[in-house]
Amino acid sequence: MDTSAAGDRVSQPVARTLAFFARLRTAGLPVAPARTLDALRALQFVDVFDEDDYRLALRLNVAASPDQERLFDQVFAEHFRGAPDTRRYPGGIRGETMQGRLGHHYKELDQQLTVDPAHFSQGEFERDTDLADRWDPSAAPLERIIRELARRLATRPSRRQRSDRRGSAVDLRRSIRRNTRHGLELVELARSERRTRRTRLVMLCDVSGSMDTFNPFLLRLMLGLQQLMRSSRTLVFSTHVTEITSALRARSVQATLREVAAQVRHWSGGTDIGGALGNLNRGVIREGSASSTIAVIVSDGYDNGAADRIACEMAQLRRRVRKIVWINPMYGASTFQVRAAGMRAAMPCIDHFLPAFDARSLQLLVRELRDV
Amino acid sequence: MSPMPDLSTVASVQTLFESRQYIADRALALTVKLAGELQKPILLEGEAGVGKTEVAKVLASVLDTPLIRLQCYEGLDANNALYEWNYARQILHIRIAEHDAAARAKLETSIFDDQFLLNRPLLAAIRHPGPRPAVLLIDEIDRADEEFEAFLLEVLSDYQVTVPEIGTFKAALPPYVILTSNRTRELNDALKRRCLYLWVDFPTADKEREIIRQRLPALDDALAHTVANLMQTLRRIDFYKRPGIAETLDWSRALLGLEVKNITPELLLETAGVILKHRDDIERLRASDLDAVLAGETPTTGSSRQVY
Repeated sequence: MDTSAAGDRVSQPVARTLAFFARLRTAGLPVAPARTLDALRALQFVDVFDEDDYRLALRLNVAASPDQERLFDQVFAEHFRGAPDTRRYPGGIRGETMQGRLGHHYKELDQQLTVDPAHFSQGEFERDTDLADRWDPSAAPLERIIRELARRLATRPSRRQRSDRRGSAVDLRRSIRRNTRHGLELVELARSERRTRRTRLVMLCDVSGSMDTFNPFLLRLMLGLQQLMRSSRTLVFSTHVTEITSALRARSVQATLREVAAQVRHWSGGTDIGGALGNLNRGVIREGSASSTIAVIVSDGYDNGAADRIACEMAQLRRRVRKIVWINPMYGASTFQVRAAGMRAAMPCIDHFLPAFDARSLQLLVRELRDV
Repeated sequence: MSPMPDLSTVASVQTLFESRQYIADRALALTVKLAGELQKPILLEGEAGVGKTEVAKVLASVLDTPLIRLQCYEGLDANNALYEWNYARQILHIRIAEHDAAARAKLETSIFDDQFLLNRPLLAAIRHPGPRPAVLLIDEIDRADEEFEAFLLEVLSDYQVTVPEIGTFKAALPPYVILTSNRTRELNDALKRRCLYLWVDFPTADKEREIIRQRLPALDDALAHTVANLMQTLRRIDFYKRPGIAETLDWSRALLGLEVKNITPELLLETAGVILKHRDDIERLRASDLDAVLAGETPTTGSSRQVY
């Protein structure tokens, strides 16, 4: 350790720690003021002369995931020992171009959907006038359809009961409790209804080059579903896999796009569906989640990986989730055939294979999903 | 009762844990120490089978206090976690009181007496009388619903619970709280903020060897060495469920029972069910070059994967 840094740290531990936290923030690890106080409080109980104790006491309070732990250790080493900076800071040049591209897609989508409201009134669904009347160019047009989609996906009666004044069953336990004041004559009945089972959605979206044209739609879909189904998780893949759940929870669309662009550095890359599915099977989806999870895969199925890997991972995934829904934007094209080897390998395991590439087809998809 | 064990230094925590056959690394020992001093819950995340739950058990044993365990599951609610009234006994009490004028007059106050209160884990931990703090283990919090997390946050923030009919219970001795998560989903930020966070990784070969030696002293040293190294190799293979320390110990016990002197590829395959719990994983191992695996080489990904 650099002795001057050590001396500094001891003479002004608080200031030194705060300077370090400032550096952590620029490196992309958010340290809230409350956490800062917690960390400083923890320092009273450890030997700040001991580098390990000092580092761990801070880290326990500041980091909240294995990735953050790693980032913390790295920044710590750089800050106090002057180790070379090997990290790529988010928001670099690549990040900015990425954001530009996503922003562009978003604008395009708005145009596509605002310019042509007639698109919706072709009799494909009954509420066309409704929609045209209430059309607000600044509102998110997919929102309503996605809300319906979320409702379809998430409503499933559970075996557990919850109290409900107009429920269909009598809750004996609660009835007795309520009627203790009447000397146990059952004057009022407490009723209960079956609970609605929470469905967890895990969405795996293909953002490889071949999907570029569908990006505007894809972004809307991911954003909408993540915001309406808070417990769902969203991952994007090309040759790598990145979970963007937390990025999609950002407050504004602009912030979200910035975040996603910073996190996903393989946008428009190649495709490795098998690898992405494998990642899903080993990470996000575990045993025990089977009955409550629906996997939604959005991809055109063009893959340069091995088809047998895809088949194997799909079979594994099949056993781990309740339903697999595959949304294939190419399916809508008249020339479409299941020709891609990857797609063919995956077919046997898919419960619902559906086309969707814009708002209208998504509406159709929602109807199709009636019984998921 | 023996004096309160010293948890104020990293070294003493490590020694106390080791006396319970648990090898605690520096980070974990410091976490336990700080949890006591700052009275903060500990959040342990890590893959299944790395010994997260064991920390709570060992800590309870070190403190010689009860381990109060709350196993989380989807649909867990406040009734099952906090308290419930014992309705059956209440009704019985009312029926008896009906035949006694004096008791009937007092019925309203006596019916919500402590004796009819069923303490569920959270309340039990808060009401633990001491003289030492209880250990509250909230296991697999990622299985519970998000609403439950929010509820938990409330209880953990001031260690007090209000039962409307009786009043507020405040912990005389805030319990040691250990939350574990397999990270099947990301936990609420507010909950994480409340805790000391530690990611528990698979042990290094040295540490694993030491664990085997501690837990199964009867196992031959050379064999323990081989087992520890083999587990490291196996964990580098792309299995659906990588074997944890629990599997290491189970397998070591199996080897001990079988009176094995050295590990052959045949033996590895025959006993693979102790280490690997997925059919695909076992098939995968079968398809690998076992001599290479035993020699510590990681089989290449992809080539050995088959369609089943």
